[in-house]
Amino acid sequence: MAKKTVKVPKIVDGVPVGEVEIQVDDNGGPSWGANDKHRLLNKPMIRVDGAAKATGTAIYTQDVRPKGMLFGRFLASPRAHAKVTKLDLEPAKKLAGVKAVLAVVNVGGEVRFEGEPVVAVAATTPEVAEDATRAIVVEFQDLPHVVKGAEALQPNAPQVVARPPRIQKQGDAEQTAKALESCDAVIEAQYTSPMLHHCCLETHSITADFNGKDTATVYASTQGTFTIPGDSARELGLPQNKVTSIVQNMGGGFGSKFGIGIAGQWACRLAKEVGAPVKMALTRREEFLAAGNGPGSIQKFKAGASKDGKLVAVMATQYALPGIGNSNLAGQPYQYKAEHTYREAQAVHTNEDASVAMRAPGHPQASFAMESLMDELAYKIGMDPVEFRKKNVQDAAWHRQLDRGAKEIGWENRNKTPGEGKGNLRRGMGCGIGAWGGGGNAQCQVDVTIGKDGSVIAAVGSQDLGTGTRTYIRAIVAEELGLEMNDVVEHIGSSKLGNANASGGSTTAASLSPAVKDAAYNARVEMAKRVAPLLGAQADGVVFDQGRVMGNGKSLPWKQACAALPEAGLTAHGKWQPNLSSSGVHGASFAEVEVDIETGHVRVVKMCHVQDCGLPLNRTALHSQINGGMIQSMGMALYEGRVMDSDLGVMVNPGLGDYKIPGTLEIPEMIPIIDDGDDRQAVIGMAEGANVPGVGAVCNAVYNACGVRVRDLPITPDKILSGIIAMQKRMT
Amino acid sequence: MNSFQWANAATVEDAVKLLKPTDPKADVDQQPMPMGGGQDLLTSLKAYIVKPPRVVNLKTIQGMDKIEADGKGGLKLGALVVLSTLEEHPEVRAKYPGLAEAAFSIATPQIRNLGTVGGNLCQRPRCWYFRLENYNCRKKGGDECFAKGGENKYNAIFGGGKSNYVHPSDLAPMLIALDATVTIAGPDGKRTMPLGEFFILPATNVRRENVLKEGEIVTEIQIPAAPSPRSTYLKFKERDSLDFAMSAVAAAIDLAPDKTVRQARLVLGGVGTIPWRVPAAEAFLVGKKLSDEVNSQAAKIALDGAKPMEQNEYKIPLTQALVRRALAKLNA
Repeated sequence: MAKKTVKVPKIVDGVPVGEVEIQVDDNGGPSWGANDKHRLLNKPMIRVDGAAKATGTAIYTQDVRPKGMLFGRFLASPRAHAKVTKLDLEPAKKLAGVKAVLAVVNVGGEVRFEGEPVVAVAATTPEVAEDATRAIVVEFQDLPHVVKGAEALQPNAPQVVARPPRIQKQGDAEQTAKALESCDAVIEAQYTSPMLHHCCLETHSITADFNGKDTATVYASTQGTFTIPGDSARELGLPQNKVTSIVQNMGGGFGSKFGIGIAGQWACRLAKEVGAPVKMALTRREEFLAAGNGPGSIQKFKAGASKDGKLVAVMATQYALPGIGNSNLAGQPYQYKAEHTYREAQAVHTNEDASVAMRAPGHPQASFAMESLMDELAYKIGMDPVEFRKKNVQDAAWHRQLDRGAKEIGWENRNKTPGEGKGNLRRGMGCGIGAWGGGGNAQCQVDVTIGKDGSVIAAVGSQDLGTGTRTYIRAIVAEELGLEMNDVVEHIGSSKLGNANASGGSTTAASLSPAVKDAAYNARVEMAKRVAPLLGAQADGVVFDQGRVMGNGKSLPWKQACAALPEAGLTAHGKWQPNLSSSGVHGASFAEVEVDIETGHVRVVKMCHVQDCGLPLNRTALHSQINGGMIQSMGMALYEGRVMDSDLGVMVNPGLGDYKIPGTLEIPEMIPIIDDGDDRQAVIGMAEGANVPGVGAVCNAVYNACGVRVRDLPITPDKILSGIIAMQKRMT
Repeated sequence: MNSFQWANAATVEDAVKLLKPTDPKADVDQQPMPMGGGQDLLTSLKAYIVKPPRVVNLKTIQGMDKIEADGKGGLKLGALVVLSTLEEHPEVRAKYPGLAEAAFSIATPQIRNLGTVGGNLCQRPRCWYFRLENYNCRKKGGDECFAKGGENKYNAIFGGGKSNYVHPSDLAPMLIALDATVTIAGPDGKRTMPLGEFFILPATNVRRENVLKEGEIVTEIQIPAAPSPRSTYLKFKERDSLDFAMSAVAAAIDLAPDKTVRQARLVLGGVGTIPWRVPAAEAFLVGKKLSDEVNSQAAKIALDGAKPMEQNEYKIPLTQALVRRALAKLNA
């Protein structure tokens, strides 16, 4: 078959790292057809696993308990940076019920952040395992630490990582500086955001079901079914094809769950040591301290615009704060075009756990800063912030989305002068834009089997993170075969099934749905060949609709048609087809807030997010994704942040009581809008696009409401009150 | 948590006996402890900041979960009354609306269905450093208050010094404003005292937040008849869904027919190491008619003497705003 070359995104552990070229068959193949002509897709659909989840019958990794299973637990470092000077495991080993005690860090080794595992224990109950970690005698010699980005930037700060800083430079500094001199308005400002946490409902959990024999089953709460067997096999000393991974349901990943991670690594090592299954489920505190995070940021700008609303020059220095790990922020001026730009970027390290991918890695931070800056410039030149944005982005999608969002939120009613109005409760509005990739790649192998009894199974090893993967697999197959949702069963979440990519970078839908469509299409074509003779029709004249197979003016009920199949039924294979997915999504968020100027309390009154995504597979799931994105962005804007104590080097809020994610009472009226102006007949991942622009929208709405610009996230009442008091002092 | 012995108390006397220190030399946080709803105790146990050898279940004591009339127009609250009962009780809502508001402001519906009045009054502080297992702050027997010079945004502006936690109870300020008394049972029998005297400053005993000695429990709260139903509890939370007070004001006033203040009781929550009564502001109000001007002055007086740390100066204007609003609301 002829081949063609296409470019697909390359994603490593959830972080997009450019594109790669791949060869695919050039066969024409199936197509989705017009977005508004679907029978099941692009309609609201109830998630097929909803009832099981709501009633508690869905089995998660933390529910799995193979016979003889032991509970793993870590002794974690209480120090930010220290050398282990003494380690006595014997007292733990002596406890009844303790089966294995393994040093993670040996005497002489270093711990580099609070929460870093020092010893791993396996015991018959979680309580005994916990007691065992406390029986271990460990002594540390403290080494210099730094846990705040601003302090790590000081000249004499302790060096956290051995490698020298790598400073990326882009653009022409001299030209940009010169251009700033002639701008009508210039803003010089610094924006900061704290390290964030994924806050998955299910903490990192792995159960290694291994009995010292020659096979193992590993149950994992993971974003990648197929990222598990290789890692696990290495730890267990088995060939990869002897390890099966199972991911039936999982309680959230948001970028933090690729590979077996530290929990899986030690679950496997403990299981191998004992020759019995071991579950390692992190505690919520461990989840905060040692299961990854999203990097904090410090971004400094000097930027200028002309009176007529052109962004002329942007100078940016961007520091990502990824603990001992690495990360990049999306480059400034983010999605905007400026005539002259210069950007310096580097990671600044602290003695904190390494950042990992988190919900559009590097984008919410970049967007928050740039959208705040755009707002400041718009007010300074006296231009409507929506108009100012439209003048500085080219893509028609954003123009369309900004207009739509403005209409939904009632933009014309915003304060023309920030803080204007009477009384203690002041309302304001703000907006922002964002982008994401969401393209697919060619890793999924799907089988659709039609049984002689009429049953239909779609099988692929993919995981469903809660995003609705199961539901659209069924819908695509059902629609192709003219059936209803309940006529199809999906088998997913096992490495024994066809390969699937890891769910990172919002790439699952765009990678998997084309392969499902291809398999369903091939199954239909194959079925048509079998049934055509019964109908006296040509195979390409057979129609599948309303549970019937039709042709030549005749019609058979589905089951009767299937009876024509051979004993084994038929199985058709499908793989990714480039014409069924695309890449590149746009979003625009608007927020209306109410600020109590006497208390600093912010109530988000209403949020609206407009998102394109090519062909919407399931409108209900998309609305949920958009709502989730809005909630995460308001969480980042107003509530969330890791707080570190400089002297002790420890996190002071490692729990969901003190690390505050929005709760039910914080949720505003939410208006999720699927941008149907996007007529691409291709599936594109959008989820991570939806949590980007809302951050800036909320921050800008706070400013519009009360006249206080808070540049340091989260915007908590104390910061607003301090700003209001400073403003009142200036005015008197 | 450490393993402990579980004991169901049949009576108050039984509970007191079971709470007798097993090792009198052991640290105060390693003595037998009572449990009502367990909503605070469990978090403390799991964080290893208390390590009782025995936990005495009070919920097996009959009759301590009732709200009863005292025959003189007031109410008696058993220590085991759960917060949701208090919040929904018609007589509480009619006579002491501020108390129903205070109960409603606490935590989440699930916690209010289990948490008790006694437990709410006796809960331990939420100071970040107190809750860090590995750091032995002064409150846990160490020799430093890490909040001073540390992350102290949520800490005290009143009554600090040796230790700078804030008292976490929402019921306490309101009950003090309602002139409540508390009955304590212990090895030497029962005693009753004004609730305002129940709480103690860190200067008195940094390891404890109240006068309870080992073996003592709260059995009942008495609220006298209110001269008027003008009471309110305004709690400011950073996150409305679930949070402790960043600041709160409990206010109970009695107005003459011409709306002159006959009596005022103002107690601040979320700002002091104890529920912080402000007698100077109360005295200022008596004999005056409430107005924006009077309320503002009272608010200023109420915050006199506040000693903010590096990150919590905002509590002063915030609390002043709450005082003004509480007074305006009660004058309506």
